[in-house]
Amino acid sequence: MLSIMDRIARTMAVIGGGVLVALVLLVCISVSGRRLNTLGHSEWFAWISQTMADALVATGVRPITGDFEILEAGVAFAIFSFLPICQLYGAHATVDIFTNGLPSKINRWIVIFWEFVLTAVIILITWRLFAGMQSKLSNGETTFLLQFPIWWAYAASFAAAVVASLVGAYTAFARVAEAVTGRKYLPYSEGAIH
Amino acid sequence: MGFWSFPVLLVMIFLRAPIGLAMMLCGIGGLYFAMGGSHMFLAKLKSETYGTFSTYSLTVIPMFLLMGQFATLSGMSKALFKAAESFLGHRRGGVAMAAVGSCAGFGAICGSSLATAATMSRVALPELKRYGYSGGFSTATLAAGGTLGILIPPSVILVIYAILTEQNIAKLFLAAFIPGILAAIGYIITISIYVRVHPDAAGTREPVPMNERFRALFDVWPVIAVFALVVGGIYLGWFNPTEGAAVGAAGTGVIALVTGNLTWEIFKESIIATATSTAMIFFIVLGAGFYNGFLALSQLPQELSNWVVGQGFSPWTVLVLVLAFYLVFGCLMDSLSMILLTIPIFFPVISMLDFGMSAEHVAIWFGILVLIVVEVGLITPPVGMNLFIINAMDPQTRMTDTYKAVMWFVTSDILRVIILLLFPIITLVFIP
Repeated sequence: MLSIMDRIARTMAVIGGGVLVALVLLVCISVSGRRLNTLGHSEWFAWISQTMADALVATGVRPITGDFEILEAGVAFAIFSFLPICQLYGAHATVDIFTNGLPSKINRWIVIFWEFVLTAVIILITWRLFAGMQSKLSNGETTFLLQFPIWWAYAASFAAAVVASLVGAYTAFARVAEAVTGRKYLPYSEGAIH
Repeated sequence: MGFWSFPVLLVMIFLRAPIGLAMMLCGIGGLYFAMGGSHMFLAKLKSETYGTFSTYSLTVIPMFLLMGQFATLSGMSKALFKAAESFLGHRRGGVAMAAVGSCAGFGAICGSSLATAATMSRVALPELKRYGYSGGFSTATLAAGGTLGILIPPSVILVIYAILTEQNIAKLFLAAFIPGILAAIGYIITISIYVRVHPDAAGTREPVPMNERFRALFDVWPVIAVFALVVGGIYLGWFNPTEGAAVGAAGTGVIALVTGNLTWEIFKESIIATATSTAMIFFIVLGAGFYNGFLALSQLPQELSNWVVGQGFSPWTVLVLVLAFYLVFGCLMDSLSMILLTIPIFFPVISMLDFGMSAEHVAIWFGILVLIVVEVGLITPPVGMNLFIINAMDPQTRMTDTYKAVMWFVTSDILRVIILLLFPIITLVFIP
């Protein structure tokens, strides 16, 4: 079970990371397009060589239209796809200096308690995201420049959020199972990295 | 009610609740009681999560994190250390000075302290050992050097501060530059005093010939190129911070590819590392959004700042108290959570006080001071995060040895905060 969950979470993270890298390239292309276009229209470049400036503009270099709309939707999806691995690896930031004085058994149940609350909140977020998607679907809202329906972006993020809920639920129950049976069901049981 | 939410929040955090979750619960709970029902926060949740995760100004965060991850793979840490070491290594304590210098260089392409400390330790710790530097002194040096990662732009925390206080990121980066250099110089002076007090803590070695020094210096050109392009480009208005971060991520990614360090397996690992820290940060940002929404509704920040102004305290007293608060809490909580939690409460107070400067100058100056003070928390015993990371990489060194040596660097930090506090001009010299 752990290996399946681990694979799902890692795959989601790598997909999100792939999207992030693609967005990096998109932004770089768009920025270069904008800089070259500005250069082609600049006075000093025309002063050096009007022909070259005209040729540069004639190539049609320009920023990608609506790049920031793709960026926003893509980053939102990437972050939702990063949630499962953050859950599974217990990577959320906590302050454990005060609870460290308590016996490890109590600590274990404190962690379990918060894991359930966290999972409940993530499921709540996922449910409301679905409601948000429905209202974007019914009002037919689109982005300003590219005119793509906003519910597409919501749907992509919702799919990633469903995986986060699933992995979160597994993590919460796996922590109970670890506390009861003493066996290992999670990659980092002590929440070591944060 | 806004007032009571804060102790509740702190109790939850101290009971080991994930910080973002605690803030979110307080925000949701507060909205529930303020509105007398769940309709408000349920409606808010429909768009708030997606809205936060897709906020344009926040997209800079995953980009900078990715840039930092690629930077750790770029092999630049090695080149930087070699260059600094060939110039400084033969001096007394020189290898430690070189470690600090190369941390500063690495901070110019990496916006995170923990990543800087971890990456530079991998390169510098073995060398420090080889030249007979004592364990505690070596780990303390690298822990302190690591804090330069966040002080020298680009800096993820400064980006968050800029967004929270609606300040110009380029100006904040520029303002952090001199304090960052001062920090590195301060650490180098600390090292030279330390090795005079403890002569057995450091070995010596032969100087490197001049031509080799310059060859080593030449090898760091990719770092300079990426830094100049990203920070210079943002400052000159060629691109906004998100675009700058994307250019930087592409730049460090290309270096990592060219040097052959970026295989598919390593790429996946760096994506996983980016993923966990991005998700962690955004979950806190989301929680902070809910909590701050509730705070604004409860008008606590306005009431607090009116109260402080009404009491007629000296602005300097208030500022010193706030910084002292950060110093103490910085030892308990990670810097980012603390900034997100407290800036919405403290910043309105500070901006109401009269320091004889323009509002923008106060905001920038305060931001840099807070940044330094929370970073001191990263190296303050017994809970400084950098200390743990580096000590874990050097199992032979006892934690207590690191603690003893790092207090020298903490002292240097506190002296620097006092200097920057007394002379705001140092921070603001480039800010029109």
